[in-house]
Amino acid sequence: MASADGGAYSYSLTVFSPSGKLVQIEHALAAVSQGTTSLGIKASNGIVIATEKKSSSILIDDSMIEKVAVICPNIGIVYSGMGPDFRVLIARARKSAQAYWKVYGEYPPTKVLTQEIATVMQQATQSGGVRPFGVSLLVAGWDIHRGPSLYQVDPSGSFWAWKASAIGKNMINAKTFLEKRYNDDISLEDAIHTALLTLKEGFEGQMTEKTIEIGVITVPTIEELEAGKEGGESGRPRPTFRKLTEEEVKDYLAL
Amino acid sequence: MPDTTSLDHPAQRAFNPYTENGGTILAIAGADFSVIAGDTRQSEGYSIQTRYAPKVFQLTDRAVLAVNGFAADGNMFVKKVKQRLEWYRHAHSKDMPLRAIARLIQTMLYGRRFFPYYVYNILGGIEEDGTGAVYSFDPVGSYEREACRAAGAAQSLVQPFLDNQIYFKNQRPAHNTSHPVHLPLATVLSIVIDSFTGATERHIEVGDGLEIYVVLAKGRGLHGLEGVRGVQELTATDDGERVFVVRRELKKD
Amino acid sequence: MSVMEYNGGSVIAMVGKDCVAIASDLRLGNQALGITSNFQRVFPVTNRLYIGLPGLGTDVTTLRERFRYRVNMYTIKEERDIQPETFAHLVSSTLYEHRFGPYFIEPVIAGLSKAPSGGFKPFIAATDLIGCLNFAKDFVVAGTASAKLFGVAEGLWEPDLEPEDLFETISQTLLNAVDRDAFSGWGAVVHVITKDQVVTRTLKGRMD
Repeated sequence: MASADGGAYSYSLTVFSPSGKLVQIEHALAAVSQGTTSLGIKASNGIVIATEKKSSSILIDDSMIEKVAVICPNIGIVYSGMGPDFRVLIARARKSAQAYWKVYGEYPPTKVLTQEIATVMQQATQSGGVRPFGVSLLVAGWDIHRGPSLYQVDPSGSFWAWKASAIGKNMINAKTFLEKRYNDDISLEDAIHTALLTLKEGFEGQMTEKTIEIGVITVPTIEELEAGKEGGESGRPRPTFRKLTEEEVKDYLAL
Repeated sequence: MPDTTSLDHPAQRAFNPYTENGGTILAIAGADFSVIAGDTRQSEGYSIQTRYAPKVFQLTDRAVLAVNGFAADGNMFVKKVKQRLEWYRHAHSKDMPLRAIARLIQTMLYGRRFFPYYVYNILGGIEEDGTGAVYSFDPVGSYEREACRAAGAAQSLVQPFLDNQIYFKNQRPAHNTSHPVHLPLATVLSIVIDSFTGATERHIEVGDGLEIYVVLAKGRGLHGLEGVRGVQELTATDDGERVFVVRRELKKD
Repeated sequence: MSVMEYNGGSVIAMVGKDCVAIASDLRLGNQALGITSNFQRVFPVTNRLYIGLPGLGTDVTTLRERFRYRVNMYTIKEERDIQPETFAHLVSSTLYEHRFGPYFIEPVIAGLSKAPSGGFKPFIAATDLIGCLNFAKDFVVAGTASAKLFGVAEGLWEPDLEPEDLFETISQTLLNAVDRDAFSGWGAVVHVITKDQVVTRTLKGRMD
């Protein structure tokens, strides 16, 4: 059995313990559960992903910190866990999305991009000289095939689709809270408020537009889709994912 | 030390006496009329030299000649044909018959077998028996009487369209009917216009203006020509064949 | 000797009202020598999408297999049929991968794409041998008879043709064009794609 420190099986991450565990992956999950809480809720007409961003010192310029990231016009990601690991994954995800665009002339569906990220994370559990990524991700996206979808990816490389989920420090309470609040025909506006309410549950300190980050997927109408790309056939696709500005977050907090 | 490199390797310089000036011509024969048309763009390479350089010329009241290829050769050739036709008039007190003009053109072209006029000719008009005729020539005088012919830059675009619309190639007549041997003038005119708008759309050397000459057999009414926009009569003599020209704009891009 | 004219062959695609058509001749030659009169160069990609590959015969086979592989991988990974627009980009990027040693093929694509409202929208496209896309709204042509195809199509095509009229238009265009091209002809095949079905007809043509 693995002891508290992982015992003899904690050094090489590619070696199973006799009980069938890769203890380094479990340690990675432990790193995630120490990270700040993030959550995502799928609504009838969109998705919201949100996280708290708390800095350890008032001297840190928190406008530099970005925890909700745009991958491509239709996909955004939020994480819990280790910031530097997240940035590596963001870079890989963005590259993957652009590579897909180069081949197909469109951005990847959410599931395909999620799969790509999951593959990167899985490879870190099976390659020599590396450690698993110390993050869990919530991937929110929209595509014509599946519509809005929300995925969670873990350090092991496993992923699931959620209607609503939370990761990080307060995930247990947050999930319980979401289970009570969630229904299938919740609107995006209500989902954003539910997200803020859920975060508030375990929030230490003041919840302000500086300490909250929100990203939303807005499902385009048929008219918007028929209108095609911005600036004609050769233009850029209309974004379905965007981050809320501090101004917008402030307005939601005020309500 | 003087530069002697040019002396080391003797360089050969050549004067190329020919150029290709683009454009397209076509002619279609009817039962008792003939239509000869050409665009008016003249170009050299990617440059347009002029948007109005006629390629179709009235020779007599029953013969019209279209020339395409090297414009300088074309103009000189038409000048010489016209000169020979005038001599003929002085000698015989009448216009040369169409089939004789055709043979004359062949002789004149072959006369330059080893320094040819770089020109494709299409001769249209009315034969002595009153039928519409088209003769087409290669630059050294091979010729043939046909019902229709396209030549020039957009020949490859226009000729298969004419095969289909004039000769009804690849079409089978409805049961117990047959394809007409000759089409009415109005139909021919619209096929000519469609051919040139199509060629203008897809070929850079075709466009600007269109001149359609129509030669009508003696005694034939105008039918098919009345009401045509911008038609102008060019006939010189009375009670013979009549010649008309229709001028149209083509796209200039 | 031009590689593009080594084996001969031509393809054309046209848009109609809620339908598209793609047609090709059936000749495979060795320069002036005719080899076979049943060489297929138009292939189905999905139920509502076809691709024509005029050009060098050996590359027809190679590219066909390449596209089959890549489309199968796409279908499995994405759990859906590839859309014509997406496939056109796939074709383009596949060809551009070989920018400096290209496949000698100028693909023509025809299909119906799913509209956001649920209906189907006609789609045609063609590329040059290094993948430069041409999304035309009326017709696209390629192959040794391309100039002739352009000329006839420009004269015969009109907007909003019903499937049967589109079949007649594309067939007449192809047949009359290839009859003036020594490297194309020897019979033809025409596919008319509508939302419910694909009608494939083999045409007899001049055998000279």
